[in-house]
Amino acid sequence: MLLVLSEEHKAHLGSLLQAGGPAIGELGRLAVELLRRGAAPRACETAARKLNIDVDIVQHGVEGLTYLLTECSKLMISEIDFQDSIHVLGFSDELNKLLLQLYLDNRKEIRRILSELEPKLPSYHSLEWRLDVQLASRSLRQQIKPAVTIKLHLSQNEDQTAQVLQTDPSTLLHLIQQLEQALGEMKTNHCRRIVRNMK
Amino acid sequence: QRFRFCGDLDCPDWVLAEISTLAKSSVKLKLICGQVLRDLLGEAMEYEKILRLTSDAKLELGDVKATIAVLGFVLCSAAKHGVDSESLASELQQLGLPKEHASGLCRCYEEKQSCLQDKLRARSLRLSRLGSVCWRVDHTLSSSELREVDEPLVHLTFNMQDGECGGTATIPMVLSADKFRVLLAELRQAQALMNSLI
Repeated sequence: MLLVLSEEHKAHLGSLLQAGGPAIGELGRLAVELLRRGAAPRACETAARKLNIDVDIVQHGVEGLTYLLTECSKLMISEIDFQDSIHVLGFSDELNKLLLQLYLDNRKEIRRILSELEPKLPSYHSLEWRLDVQLASRSLRQQIKPAVTIKLHLSQNEDQTAQVLQTDPSTLLHLIQQLEQALGEMKTNHCRRIVRNMK
Repeated sequence: QRFRFCGDLDCPDWVLAEISTLAKSSVKLKLICGQVLRDLLGEAMEYEKILRLTSDAKLELGDVKATIAVLGFVLCSAAKHGVDSESLASELQQLGLPKEHASGLCRCYEEKQSCLQDKLRARSLRLSRLGSVCWRVDHTLSSSELREVDEPLVHLTFNMQDGECGGTATIPMVLSADKFRVLLAELRQAQALMNSLI
C-alpha cells in the first residue's frame, strides 16, 4: 500500500535536498535517535552547524524523516511501495536508495519501540498469602473459622499497587478450580486450531 | 518425582539445570552458601568475595548469578517447608549434586536453619502492625453545657504501621472512664485467650 504524504510533510522532506547525500546519513541517524531517546535539540544544532544549514531546516528534515520512518514501519510497507511513495518527492535515485536502506535497516527496531506504546492493563507482579484460623471474637467464643488473606501485587507502567483480599478455603478451592478450567481451555481443539494457524 | 524441599512438588526445571552446572564445577560451595545466607538473613552480601571464589572455577558472570539464585532458592525453600538437613542432603544427591557439595551446603543450612525460619516468619504477610500506644488522663472541670463536670477522660493514640500501603497511621481517640473500663475488660479477655494458646 502507498503512503500518501501531506504537503507540509513533503515540504519538510524537500528541505533534505538542500542538505545533500552525506548529510542524509547524519540526519537519518538523528531521526532514529529521536525515536530511541526523544528530542535532542542540541544534536540538531551541532548538525546544522556542521552541515552549514539553517537549524530550522535540520529540525524539520529530521522530524519529517522520523514521521516517514514511523508511518512506514507501522504499516509494514514493502520496498516497492516505499520507493513509489517517496518517488513523489522527486529525489535523485541515490537519495531514494539511501532512504530505502535507512528504512529497511531500522524497521525492526522501530516496530519494537512502537509496540511498547500500547495501553497496558495492570499486570501480575507477585502474591503473598497467609492462612489464619479465627478462634474467638468479642461476640462469640469457641469458634474455628479458617480464612486465607491474600495480598496481590500488581504493576502498571512502573507503578506498584497492592490489593488485599480475604476468602474462606471453599471459595479459594472454587477459585483454583476456575483458573484450572481456564488453563484447560488452551488444550481444547478450538484453541489448538487457532494457535496452530497463528504460528 | 516429588521433593520435600520443593513443597512435595516437582523440582523446577531451572533448578535442575543449575544443579547439574554446580555438580560439574569445583567451586567452594560452602563459602558461597555462607554469603548467600548473609543476604537472605538481611545482612549485605559480599559480592566481590563470591566473584573471587568463582573466578578460580572460571565461571562467567551469568553462571555466578545463576549459582547465587539456585542456592538462594534451595536454602529458602528448605527452610520454608521445614526440611531437616539430612533429608535435604539426600534429595540434592538424588538431583545429581555430588556428596561433598551436598553435605557442605547442608552443614551451612543446619547452622542457620532456625535464624532463616525466624527471618521468613517476620517477613510473612501482615496487614497492619501496632507501633506504639500513647495515653493521657485528663480531668474535665467544667464545660459550656454544665458548670461542674468533674469527670476523668482518657486520651489514647495508636501509632500503626499500615501493611496495605506501607505508611504510618495515627489513630487518636478519647474515652470516658466507663468506656475505658469496657475496653480494658474486653482486651483482658482477649489476652487470656491468647495466653491459653501459647
